[in-house]
Amino acid sequence: MITIRGLNIDLRDFHLRDVNLDVAENEFFILMGPTGAGKTVLLEAIAGLIPLMSGKIFIGEREITGLPPEKRGISIVYQDYALFPHLTVLENITYGLHFHRTDKTHIKKRLDRLLEVLNLFDLKQRFPVNLSGGEKQRVALARALMVEPKVLLLDEPLSALDPNFREEVRNALKGLHQSSTTTFLMVTHDFVEVLSLAGRAAVMNKGRIEQTGHVKEIFEKPVSPFVADFVGMKNLFEASFHETYAVVSGLKIEIGRIVDPSSRYLAVRPEDIIISREKFSSSMRNSYSGIITQINNQGFYYEIAVIVKNVSFKGLITKGALIELGLEEGIPVYVSFKASAVHVF
Amino acid sequence: MKREPFFWITVSCGIVIMAFILLPLIQMMSAPSAGMLKETIQDKDVVRSIWLSIYTAGLAALISFVLGTPLAYLLARSAFKGKRLVESIIDLPIAIPHPVVGIAILSVAGKNHWIGQILSELGIRIMGSVTGIVTVLTFVGIPFYLNAAKAGFEGISPRLEKVSRSLGASMSSTFFRITFPLAWRSMLIGIIMCCARAISEFGAVVIVAYHPMIAPVMIYERFEAYGLKYSQPVAVWLVSISLLLFLILRILTLENRKET
Amino acid sequence: MDNRKSILAIIFIFAFFMTGLLIYPQSGWTKEKQPSGKVIIFNAGSLTIPFAKMEKVFEARYPNVDIIQESAGSRKCARKITGLKKPCDIMASADYTVIDQLLIPTYADWNIRFATNRLVLCYTNTSNYAKEINAQNWYEILLKKDVVWGHADHNIDPCGYRSVMVLQLAEKYYKKPGLFKKLIANRPQENIRPKSVELISLLQTGNMDYAWEYRSVAVQHELKFVELPDRINLGNYKHDTFYKKAVVKVTGKKPGTFLNKKGKSCTYGITLLKNAPKTQAATAFLQYMLDAQGGLKILKDMGQPPFIPCRVPTAEMKARLPKALRDLVEVRE
Repeated sequence: MITIRGLNIDLRDFHLRDVNLDVAENEFFILMGPTGAGKTVLLEAIAGLIPLMSGKIFIGEREITGLPPEKRGISIVYQDYALFPHLTVLENITYGLHFHRTDKTHIKKRLDRLLEVLNLFDLKQRFPVNLSGGEKQRVALARALMVEPKVLLLDEPLSALDPNFREEVRNALKGLHQSSTTTFLMVTHDFVEVLSLAGRAAVMNKGRIEQTGHVKEIFEKPVSPFVADFVGMKNLFEASFHETYAVVSGLKIEIGRIVDPSSRYLAVRPEDIIISREKFSSSMRNSYSGIITQINNQGFYYEIAVIVKNVSFKGLITKGALIELGLEEGIPVYVSFKASAVHVF
Repeated sequence: MKREPFFWITVSCGIVIMAFILLPLIQMMSAPSAGMLKETIQDKDVVRSIWLSIYTAGLAALISFVLGTPLAYLLARSAFKGKRLVESIIDLPIAIPHPVVGIAILSVAGKNHWIGQILSELGIRIMGSVTGIVTVLTFVGIPFYLNAAKAGFEGISPRLEKVSRSLGASMSSTFFRITFPLAWRSMLIGIIMCCARAISEFGAVVIVAYHPMIAPVMIYERFEAYGLKYSQPVAVWLVSISLLLFLILRILTLENRKET
Repeated sequence: MDNRKSILAIIFIFAFFMTGLLIYPQSGWTKEKQPSGKVIIFNAGSLTIPFAKMEKVFEARYPNVDIIQESAGSRKCARKITGLKKPCDIMASADYTVIDQLLIPTYADWNIRFATNRLVLCYTNTSNYAKEINAQNWYEILLKKDVVWGHADHNIDPCGYRSVMVLQLAEKYYKKPGLFKKLIANRPQENIRPKSVELISLLQTGNMDYAWEYRSVAVQHELKFVELPDRINLGNYKHDTFYKKAVVKVTGKKPGTFLNKKGKSCTYGITLLKNAPKTQAATAFLQYMLDAQGGLKILKDMGQPPFIPCRVPTAEMKARLPKALRDLVEVRE
């Protein structure tokens, strides 16, 4: 549905360099990346709200590069909702109808359905100033979907909400996506949203797209140190590769398969690392003895840093396990992980 | 509750400023006798000149509103090379001495200038005419409108306009449905400021048009010819009527505040 | 350490102010024989340029004197003295009768007549019909609808009522009854300005085609002008009986009151005010101004024929003059 080729943008503080993207029809696609990566810029460029230096954008077969925003059929929902303060909820939602011609019965049906799905019936006559964050975001969604856009762009729609509202709106989003043919393209920081909503995603950094693909692939098989670090692969090391094993700072790590010798990095997800007091007898090919250097409380779990020779591994452990194993900083432990958990790139 | 010195300093400064403004005004307003005031307002020439002042100032404010709104909007929304220069130029009329403004406008309006020749051929007269007065008043008043309107537009998040466009509205529809309803109060304040500035203008107008006589020129003429006793009443009437008009305007906008 | 710095600062500021005081001479501090101090002159608009030159020459000769000039229509000058009680040493009027009528005897004792002038019709080479106008057809051109012409405000400036008198005399001289009314009908109120000199900038910017001014002013501003016959230009006292036939109504002391001004040849008068702040320096200026080689020569060079010597109407008035000025003046009606 969305095809972008060679997009370049030069705004005062923001730049996009040579962006290429393909999003299929009715996909729920997510854009990730650190602040300043250019995610919002890309969204606004697709919507036609900022000028491009070069590149082409297609919606379906139609090229929309030169079209003004009102002719693109693309709706946008912002992080701060951007509801029209001088109009009621109902007027906000039906705003777009002034500019689209559809018959009245169709409109009534669509309106009623949206109000019901998003639970907005009671709020029809209220003004935005009297709504909670969650209510405002639902109104913004209804407003955007009322005009039946081909593409819906969402710029971090949940990040301004209280955590208790987030799940509610997230579920609403999922429901709306599945019950329509609109293509959703969303920007977010939050991995929970990524994992629960998206099929495919892209990671951006400094105005470029670093990796595109299915969410699982990105999280397990990052193609660059940046992406690996971004998706939380805490055990990221430079390594030299020899047939079926790798060497990291003198430490030999079994990979169990032949890899491209020109690869430079390996990474292991922290949840794939098992920490034990005794040597773990199992099929895990990699098992090392080391000392705990740090125990960090991460809220719902603990992050344990263990130094093996010169290499520091980070693993995760629950509070219960921490107490049961009697782990403390400075004591010797064993660090184990499967060869197949080693990701090479 | 013991208040710290900072509080008292603030209050004192406030009192000093209020006194600074009010004392000369009260002196002026209370100087003429009721009889003098009655006699003055019955003078046809006085009524005519006060009406001319209000009417030309209102016209100048209206022109500023119509011509200035697009520029104010552009300055609020876009960044371009030389924007600061444009903004400085807009403020220039405030800094130029008033007689200089009058002389400059007269020079352009005379037959020795190509614009003056075009005007002459079109039958438009600037010297000694209402057209000339309105021209001068617009010149000195427009910066006040522009700055107020621009600030109003800047206070509206551009995202509202972006959403409106994405929903299918053109630039002009967005302006009339979203921007204007949210900014009209700032624009009204700009109009009031422009009007107030225009009503009080003297130095520039007196050079371009002595007759027809606006109220400030009449006040000065009476002062020079007959003294304080005959000029103060005209001033009192002008200030009172202007004050009344501005008050009404402000009350009308305050009423509407209740709905948001 | 801090105390020392504050003391140094105080000494520095004190020294700065003392130097400032010394640099700016204060009037009344020096008791020299040379004239010094401020001299305030109210002069008629048409005297602005010659008097500015006189000011330069006089201040060069007596550097401790500072001459301050305010120029306005002569009747307005008089009102500033009588009504607003503005401080003034010398008043020079374009019409000596203004001094006689409004200042003597309360504010002045005597009145020296020092120069004459005459009215001309000024224009520039961009004025409409500039190429055709002459002394015979001027009034026909002023009647044309596409000609913008004006004069000074007759209530404020003698040049104003004199211009109106010229028009009245023209009707009688050219024997064209109704001419005056028709001329005034073609001169809307917007074409009147408080000071005749303002009309010149209107001519120069092309906002006005023709303006009535004194010949001296036209010469000083390098304007073209039409010379009119002596019988109507108010320039020759021999024609005073004819001039008397022109009568113009001007405003009186209060709004709503009026006086009648009768035509008379343009004669300039000057006086020293009785309660003048600085009589010594002011008298010195008059001495210079009324000297045939001094001020009067400047007037002559600038196209304004002076009386040499200046005159007072009666011997009695001559006796009231300050001693220093008596020799410069003769008694003549």
